[in-house]
Amino acid sequence: MIYVNDLRKEFKKAIKEPGLKGSVKALFSPKNEIVKAVDGISFHVPKGEMLGFIGPNGAGKSTVIKMLTGILTPTSGTCEINGFIPQKDRQRYVKEIGVVFGQRTQLWWDLALRETYAVLKEIYDVPDKEYKKRMEFLNEVLELDEFISSPVRTLSLGQRMRADIAASLLHNPKVLFLDEPTIGLDVVVKDNIRNAIQKINAEEGTTVILTTHDLADIELLCDRIVMIDKGKKVFDGQLNDLRHEFGQMRDLQFELISKSDISKLNYKADLKLSDEDVKIENEKSSVSVRFDSEKVSVEDILSYTLSKVHVKDINLKDADIEEIIRRLYRQEVSIDEV
Amino acid sequence: MRRMLRLHRIFVAQYMKNLMEYKVDFLTGAISFLLGQAVQILFLGIIFSQIPDLVGWDFNEILFIYGFSLIPKGLDHLFFDNLWSVGYFIVRKGDFDKYLTRPINSLFYVIAEKFCVDAFGELAIGLILITYSVIQLKLTITWYMIPLFIISVVFATLIYTAIKIATSAISFWTKASGHITHMFYMTNDFSKYPTTIYNKFVKNIITYVIPFAFTAYYPASFFLTGENPLFCIGGTVLASTILFAVSVLIWNRGIKAYESAGS
Repeated sequence: MIYVNDLRKEFKKAIKEPGLKGSVKALFSPKNEIVKAVDGISFHVPKGEMLGFIGPNGAGKSTVIKMLTGILTPTSGTCEINGFIPQKDRQRYVKEIGVVFGQRTQLWWDLALRETYAVLKEIYDVPDKEYKKRMEFLNEVLELDEFISSPVRTLSLGQRMRADIAASLLHNPKVLFLDEPTIGLDVVVKDNIRNAIQKINAEEGTTVILTTHDLADIELLCDRIVMIDKGKKVFDGQLNDLRHEFGQMRDLQFELISKSDISKLNYKADLKLSDEDVKIENEKSSVSVRFDSEKVSVEDILSYTLSKVHVKDINLKDADIEEIIRRLYRQEVSIDEV
Repeated sequence: MRRMLRLHRIFVAQYMKNLMEYKVDFLTGAISFLLGQAVQILFLGIIFSQIPDLVGWDFNEILFIYGFSLIPKGLDHLFFDNLWSVGYFIVRKGDFDKYLTRPINSLFYVIAEKFCVDAFGELAIGLILITYSVIQLKLTITWYMIPLFIISVVFATLIYTAIKIATSAISFWTKASGHITHMFYMTNDFSKYPTTIYNKFVKNIITYVIPFAFTAYYPASFFLTGENPLFCIGGTVLASTILFAVSVLIWNRGIKAYESAGS
């Protein structure tokens, strides 16, 4: 369904010295450097899969998405989606995809939401009957009713994002591209949006490609993840594989009853752990223990802590993607393509 | 084509609704535009109270040329005004993404999105000046003048549009080109008067390089004198067609060079 082969994108970037002087200098003797935003990425996505596309800021995620959606032309390499080459057959291709950029709305800023959908209906040539059915479905999963008559500029971020996602699904696309669909949203809206994406994927078999910084998005939605950094693919596989491969960082937080108890805890010495394997942070009466669950189990940390001090509250957290990536690079693990 | 017309109608309707959302802004715009036009005509009147005859053209003939120049300019303004935004900010801010993810021609989409009602002022004044000068000059209108007039107006409009398309497409490479468009566009002021008043250099530029002379003086002089139809009308059609084809080519090349913006 989606075949990406050795995709590359280079940007020319002007080198300027700071200040006005630098700008003037650059005007008369421009210097350019080539920035490799995407540096030879290949992957394949079968129909109906939900693929999470992750990586730190500036890794090249958006650039890949923009090439897949036909906005940017690759410097070299190919991508083929639904049998189309996006840049060659742009108009026919985009009819079969839906695109949401979380940072930027595609709705008509001053029009009532309802009007926006009416215009999109015409642009995508959706037949009346299908449009009605589609609107009902989207209404149900994204709860658009409460704000469908308001101008887009008056919507809250959460409402706008729901509206944007609905807009991208109006023509029942075969592939849905979501670039940070949950950025800046509260938990309830995030849940709502995740449910909607899941439902659409299940009912229509829509292939979904999404980029995110939210591990929960990945965990709840994605069958598979592709991680990129500095324009290169560093991981391709299941989330559990990633955890397995790069060690599972966990975060246990204890709220102690008595602040003075903190000195009784000495994880590194008592459990014989290295600096790499465990990190302790104390703040007032709370202790946060970040550890590699391959080296030491949750149970060990728990029972050790409970045997030493009295605890008011316990909180267990997963490490976020950033931490996994950070760790990955610190260890300079080399990864074989999966 | 039929789909495009229908879409265009829908976009225009939406744009009008948009205008109504900002009534004060719209009214201020309309009033300031009318004032601007009034000042221009007043200025023209002052000039011609001093110089009744310009290289063999009398006041009413000059009025006809001036009036004619406003029609294609107004039509371009009415339908194709959004091209300005491409060069000034759409490309620079990465907003062009939107036009590329819809299943319609990107150039058409950009153009159809705005319908600049301000232009009705130009069109009205142009028509008034033409009518007035035709009556004053007692021009006889033969039947074939009508289709020729329509043809020359349509192709003259395309000259404006093509220049805007080509220069705003430069922004795909340079990120912003609004000022380039502005520079080229402003040479149209030369077209309001007979080219014979200019020196050879200016005359050649506005005939062969930026062919604004074909948007007013050449076709208008044919309607006034009936001479040189091949050059005056044929030249307009030819210059316009070539320029338009080249501009679309530049636009399509530009899309391939488009770099979007970080998000």
